[in-house]
This record gives sequence, C-alpha cells and structure tokens, in this order.
Amino acid sequence: MVLSTTVSQRKHIKRKAPRGFLKRVFKRQKPHLRLETSGDLLMHLNCLLFVHRLAEESRTNACENKCGIIKKEHVLAAAKVILKKSRG
Amino acid sequence: MADSGSPDSEPTTRTLLRRVLDTADPSTPRRPRSARAGAQRALLETPSSRRLSSQTKTTARRRSQRIRSIGKLAHVQASGYLEEQTPRTLLKNILLTAPESSIVMPKSVVKPGPVPQVVQPSSRESSRGSLELQLPELEPPTTLAPGLLAPGRRKQRLRLSVFQEGMDKGLPLSQESRGNADASSLTSSLNLTFATPLQPQSVQRPGLARRPPTRRAVDVGAFLQDLRDTSLALAPPDTVLEDTQPFSQPLVGRSPSVHHSLPCPSHSGAEDAERAVSHRTRSTGPRLQNNSPGKPAQLLAGKAEVDALAMNFPNTSSSIFGEVGVEPLQDGVGGEAEERTEKSLSMSKVKEAARARGSARAQEPEGHTQVTEAEGSQGAIETKEPEGSSGDCPTSSRRVSPELASSTPEFLQAKRIQGLEPAPPPSTAVLPSEPLEPLSARLPPRARTPGPKACQNPYKTGLSHYAKLFSFYAKMPMEKKALEMVEKCLDKYFQHLCDDLEMFAAHAGRKTVRPEDLELLMRRQGLVTDQVSLHVLVERHLPLEYRQLLIPCAFSGNSVFPAQ
Repeated sequence: MVLSTTVSQRKHIKRKAPRGFLKRVFKRQKPHLRLETSGDLLMHLNCLLFVHRLAEESRTNACENKCGIIKKEHVLAAAKVILKKSRG
Repeated sequence: MADSGSPDSEPTTRTLLRRVLDTADPSTPRRPRSARAGAQRALLETPSSRRLSSQTKTTARRRSQRIRSIGKLAHVQASGYLEEQTPRTLLKNILLTAPESSIVMPKSVVKPGPVPQVVQPSSRESSRGSLELQLPELEPPTTLAPGLLAPGRRKQRLRLSVFQEGMDKGLPLSQESRGNADASSLTSSLNLTFATPLQPQSVQRPGLARRPPTRRAVDVGAFLQDLRDTSLALAPPDTVLEDTQPFSQPLVGRSPSVHHSLPCPSHSGAEDAERAVSHRTRSTGPRLQNNSPGKPAQLLAGKAEVDALAMNFPNTSSSIFGEVGVEPLQDGVGGEAEERTEKSLSMSKVKEAARARGSARAQEPEGHTQVTEAEGSQGAIETKEPEGSSGDCPTSSRRVSPELASSTPEFLQAKRIQGLEPAPPPSTAVLPSEPLEPLSARLPPRARTPGPKACQNPYKTGLSHYAKLFSFYAKMPMEKKALEMVEKCLDKYFQHLCDDLEMFAAHAGRKTVRPEDLELLMRRQGLVTDQVSLHVLVERHLPLEYRQLLIPCAFSGNSVFPAQ
C-alpha cells in the first residue's frame, strides 16, 4: 500500500484506509448489521471527503478572520455547517 | 593438369582461363566485340605468373563459360550493354584485377593480398583447428579475389613479405598437422595454431596484440566473507518500502578504491563506545574463542567496508537518520549480527571512529587513518573489527540507544555494500540534529510506539489518522485544540454515518450494508451529482489499489473485476 504519495509533505500522509478501524467502528455502532468488503473503502472515501470539506470550511473561516492559524472556533463553526450538510 | 604450352611452369586458374579465352570459339558471336575481346586478350597476356589455386573452379568456369558463350549467342548479341556481363568479360576482368599471387603454397613466392587478412581473422576465430586454418586459405582467395581485389588493395601487398615469413615459420608445422589432423587429436593442432596466429598479429598490427589479462589472486577469505555477508543480508527487513535509490552499486564500486580516503571524525562519544564495547564483549565473548584463529585475509575486506562506510556516510548522512526506518532495520540486521562470526573485544576504536564519524560528520582523514592504523597494529582479531562492528552495531544499538545514530549509518551502509536497497525512508522530518539528542539524552532503551496512544485507544488512533488528514488538507498551521475539535467532529460524523447506512439498508430490506447504500448516502450528501459520479470521486481521492477494487474494469478473457 502506498504510505505517502507526495514527497513535498513534511509529514508522511498515509493514504492507507484504516479498514479495520472502520469496520470496528461500524460494528460497535450497529452490531446487528454487516458491512461488505468494498463498503468500508467507500466509507473511507466518505470520511476523506468529509474531512476535506471540513478543512476547506475551517480555512475559509480562518482567512475571513484574518488569522494565520486555524483555531478551535473556526473549526467549530465549520463543523456545524458541514455536519448539517452531511446529514443523509 | 600438365601444361607444357603455357608460359607458367605450374598450371593455374589464370593460365587455364587465358588458354580458354584464347582458344575459345572464335565464332562467338560478337563480331563487333571481337576487337574488344582481342584487346582484352592482349591485356591478359601481359601479366605473367598469375596463379589461382582452385583448379576445380577453373574447370567449372571453363565449362560454364563454354556453355554460356554458346547459349548466350543469340540474345547477347542483340543487347549491347549486356556484353559487359558475359562470363567471358567477367573472367577477363578477374584475370585483370586479380593480384599476382596464389594462395598459401608452401614454396610459393608471392601470396595473395587478402589472404593474410583473411587468414588472420579466420585463424583467430578458429584457433582450435588446424584444418580450419587451411580451408579459409583455400577458399577466400578465389571467392574474395573478385570482390576484394577489384578496388585494388595495394596496402596488403606491403605486408606480404612479413606475412610470408610468419607463414613460412608456421606453415611447415601446419603442413604436418594437415596430414596429422585427421588422425591426431586436437591438442597437437592446438599447439600449432596457437603459434601461427600470434606472430602475424603482433608483427603486422601491434595495436591489436592482445595483452594477457591481468589477474589478481583471488582472495578466498574475502570472497567467503562477502558470500556470507550477502547471504546474511538476503533477508532484508521489510522497511525498504519507499526509498529505491540504488545506493548499493556505487558503494560496491567504490569500496575497493576508497581504502585511503577516509573522512574522519572527531572522537566524540567516547562514553558510548565504552558502553558499546562492554555490551559487545558480552555478546562476542563466547564467539571470540571460536573465531580467534582468524582470517587475516578478511582484513582488507573489513577495512574496505569501513572505508566505504566512511566514504559514503557523508553523502547519505542527510537521509540516514530516519529513526522510524532505522529501528526496523536494526531488528532485521540484528539477526544477521548474531550470525556474524567476527567479533572482537577491542572493537572500541573502530566503533568510536565509526560513531564519531556518524555523529559529527566531520572530515578529518588523518584522525581516522590513525585510528585504522592503530587498529591494524593490534592484530588479526582487531582487523575483524570493521566487519564485526557493523554487525554488532545493530545488536548493541538496540539495547543501547546512544549508539542508535551512529550505528545506523554503519549497518545501513554495510547493508548497502552487501547489495541491499537502502533502508531509510525519506524521512526528511528526522534531521541530523536528532541523533545527537538521543545520543546524549536517552540511555534506557526506547519503547517505540507506532503512534500516540495506539495501544491504549485504537479508536483514538483512527480518529487521529483522519485529524492528520484534516491538517494536510487545510494547509495551514493549526492549534492542538483545533485538532481535538476535529476529532470530536469526526466522532459525531461516524455516528451519523452509521445511522444513515442502517436506514438505507433497512429501506432496501437488507441487513447488510452494500456499496449501493454508500453511493446513495453520498448522493444525498451532495458529493455525487449528475455531473460528478462516484467513480470520479474514487479516482480522485483513493489510491490505485483501492480504485482497482472499487471500479469494475474489464480484463482479457471476457472477465470483469470486481465481479458484479
């Protein structure tokens, strides 16, 4: 599996999907349900997109406040918006 | 074929041809050409003593000539320009242009020009068989003469005398071998042919003279050592995932030549050396006695190794100190170190030098040479230090963390020398300053965890994974509290996600959540639209391995993977 796709990153971003983690989370939440094999990959994709949107929103908030650092308040406000959006 | 009428004492192709041409059917049909033919005949008569050897070919030529001359009477007459292509004219040209030389006849005075050329390459090739030496001599002059001699090779004739001398010397032998070749073994002919080709070669073309290959005596001890090293190193740890630079090759090439240019270090970290030595003595004590009847032959190998280590260390120092990558390497090489048989008590100096080299990365060749000289003076056992030190480093460094930084380059480089791929991932985050810190600060063995709170809280680990992705996407510095906030949001998000999936599965009357449910969820979230399909998103954000699993693709044999 690819551990890192970019060399320019200071940190190594793992592109690996924590499939075990996702399956465990789902099992914990809904023990009576089963999850298919490709399902957790799509779940991972969903999480990625969620985090992506959250990060964009937080960055926008931080830039609006003319802050060079993303602060907790920015993240909180962004989360409110995005969670509402992500409701199925 | 006895020939009394011809001017030459010996019958040759040339003379025979000439006779043929002279006596040929005068009613050859080309009246207009008769003048030309006559002129050509006159030319033919002027060169004298021309010999060609293959009499069979002469007879064949004669016969063919006659047949052709008769046969071509009719149509050749008509076409004017074809007259030059007639066998008669061809033969005349041959006679004109062929040199006044014959093939290798033992007592003949002149030899054909191309023959030495031909014989030499052929003799070079067929240095084993004397028969083969003879055959090309016979054939090429007749076959090559028309081709080669037409341009007029004046150069070859200059060397005829020289070749002749060589041939005279070699030919009497080869003549004998010719008779014996059938009956005798190859050995006799081998001896003969070895003599003949060399002389003409060296005399005629000194530049092509083959020098005997310079052979070094094979150092069996070093060879065995290298064998062992490579065999040990053939089980590399599975850390070499990302770095694919071929460090091994330049290292291997450099190792023998690097012996003298050693970057040398300042001797810092003496206390580490002592610790290392003490540990090493423990582990190597029992082995010493077994291996004290040592292998002085491996001195050079070891030294070369160390030198290569030292040499290449500064080059690769920036990438060496990947701590994360180093550790698994240590574990992997530690196994090898156990198997290494060369250990010595007094490896301290080498270890010190090596580590100092590693930590300081200063270049003081004198100091290092002094160290190595001191080493060498101590004896055979210590000469194994370099080999043992690299092997020992991992074992000792695992338990003694200060050795971490310096030992890593050593055994890393040792592994490289053995032809492995370099282990350290391009961990640019681990800067050179890091090894200095663990050297001085951490004495007890470091309990390394793959991540914060990994063992305690796997749930937290997964969330932190996504939090890191968040900071990556944000591309802005963040507070730690903001990251914790992100993790909380993720937790909530997961809850929502599972609920939605359960609803969708129940709506479809299923108890298993399928990818269709996921797609529906994403559509509802607004991620998947009519413009942007799920596959597009998959391709954008997921790595190839997952893409292959998710997007059905047609393969050969009328198969689709994944199956639908």
